[in-house]
Amino acid sequence: MECLSRRKGAGGDTVALATLTGAPETGSVSAGQALSLRAFLERLERESAVDVVHVTEAVNPDRFEVTAVLQRLEDLDRFPLVVFDRPTALDGQSSGIPLVTNVFASRARCARALGLGPEHEGLELSLEYARREARRLAPAVIPREQAPVKAIVQRGDEVDLKQFPVVRHHRMDGGPYIDMTPVMRDPDSGAYNVAFQRNQVKGPRKLGIHMSPRHNWQIARKYEQAGLPTPVAVVVGHHPAFYIGALNVSPFDADDYEVIGAIANQPLRLTPSETWGDDFLVPADAEIVIEGEIPPGVREVEGPFGEFPGTYGPQRVRWVIDVKAVTRRRDAIYQDTFVGHREVSILGAFPKEGSLYNRIKAVVPGVRGVHLPNSGVGRFHAYISLDKRFEGEPQQAALIALGNVDFLKHVIVVDADDIDVYREDQVLWALATRVQAGRDVQVLCGVKGSALDPSQDEEGAGDKLIVDATRPLRHPFEARIEVPRDAVAAVDLARLIPPDQLARLGLGPLS
Amino acid sequence: MARIFWVTCPGCGDRFYCHTQDLRHTTWRLRCPYCEREFDQEESPKIEE
Repeated sequence: MECLSRRKGAGGDTVALATLTGAPETGSVSAGQALSLRAFLERLERESAVDVVHVTEAVNPDRFEVTAVLQRLEDLDRFPLVVFDRPTALDGQSSGIPLVTNVFASRARCARALGLGPEHEGLELSLEYARREARRLAPAVIPREQAPVKAIVQRGDEVDLKQFPVVRHHRMDGGPYIDMTPVMRDPDSGAYNVAFQRNQVKGPRKLGIHMSPRHNWQIARKYEQAGLPTPVAVVVGHHPAFYIGALNVSPFDADDYEVIGAIANQPLRLTPSETWGDDFLVPADAEIVIEGEIPPGVREVEGPFGEFPGTYGPQRVRWVIDVKAVTRRRDAIYQDTFVGHREVSILGAFPKEGSLYNRIKAVVPGVRGVHLPNSGVGRFHAYISLDKRFEGEPQQAALIALGNVDFLKHVIVVDADDIDVYREDQVLWALATRVQAGRDVQVLCGVKGSALDPSQDEEGAGDKLIVDATRPLRHPFEARIEVPRDAVAAVDLARLIPPDQLARLGLGPLS
Repeated sequence: MARIFWVTCPGCGDRFYCHTQDLRHTTWRLRCPYCEREFDQEESPKIEE
């Protein structure tokens, strides 16, 4: 470790304790109702219509007409869930299958997906995720004939992936990609693993699949070393809690179906697959399930693909999936994520923030907030706030964060009493006014990171940065300017500003 | 990051990039993401690495 800083001194005044407010609602996601994407959409449209827009004109997802709409909205700083009612299939015909995307592009929507109120989109969401992640809830297995995903079953030559509205996302992408979650099952423990991975459509019954060296990669490697094909089921469309649950950071032998049930707060319903029967169960309430096998020793060129950092992963030599069967609901909904944009940043953030908070709190009890902001693609930056009692606590908190999430690169630690980690302008203000680089910045070189970080010199290893942007304790420090809070709270804008002018500010009409 | 090399498609003339360890100086045929042409890297009019 290269230590470049001169530490701030100890002693002096301490800051007031911040208070966490608002206990999260922990009721079931949809009591009495099976976990499904359509149930979530119906409820969202009923309770928060502003969160959903429909594109009723026909669009061709393979010609960027889906991602172009999402990009236009993003350029306007708008992130609704978008339903494309009439997308074209890859065969050029009307698919008859609605396409849903941008589901996760708001933390408030993710909170709703876990049965929390949207007002709990901050630390409460992260802590509730961490609480549920530590539990397990056994799935419920139902017969095929009761499973909605078995309404239409296609096997062998009946399968044609070009009947689906698969999205080509970015200009250099190697083709249209299914970017939801392949499920694999460890041949030793029997545990299922669910992970977001890119799947390039290469033919009516063939996908290319990219795997980083994590759990699914380990499973496929075991099968391949035994000379066997790896069973895989790609789940395209499910309740968002299913996908949020899939982002858990659990040991290799943890069963993701059990963890997903715990995170969704209700048992995941499973049913036997068409290809492997009871030996490989698939989500019964999914919209579409693609079953296939990864043949051992077979590789093909795959990519490029626009990845989560907002850059393209290069064309590579990767595995393929020979598709054996597709099952779906009769009125199936196709789901996609806008990789490299806000929803994937959010998915990278809150599922890790809660466990980080808990680990830091065990050693630095004054921690008050942990946030992985969108500016760091939900993975590379962390903002930590704390009530500092001793010098060195910011560095300790940062080291715990870096030690627990290998993707993290840059950690900025701020004072909790006047900096909100969800307000990036405030964090950067603290950086501007409380940091001297020679004293408050530390760099650790050559540490494991994300192989998709385009700035690394060597694949997989990079540098870590710790910035202590807290006030020093050893001597008095200048205070942040402040309009008295009671004066601000007493302002009634609706009384003071005419309604038409408030509306021009996007604030009216106010009740 | 992975080491990459930029390759120009001999068909459409557009550029894309590939993983050096996987693909440079191999017999794998590259596939242009724009025009879908498959080609040997020796056919590319320009490779930048």
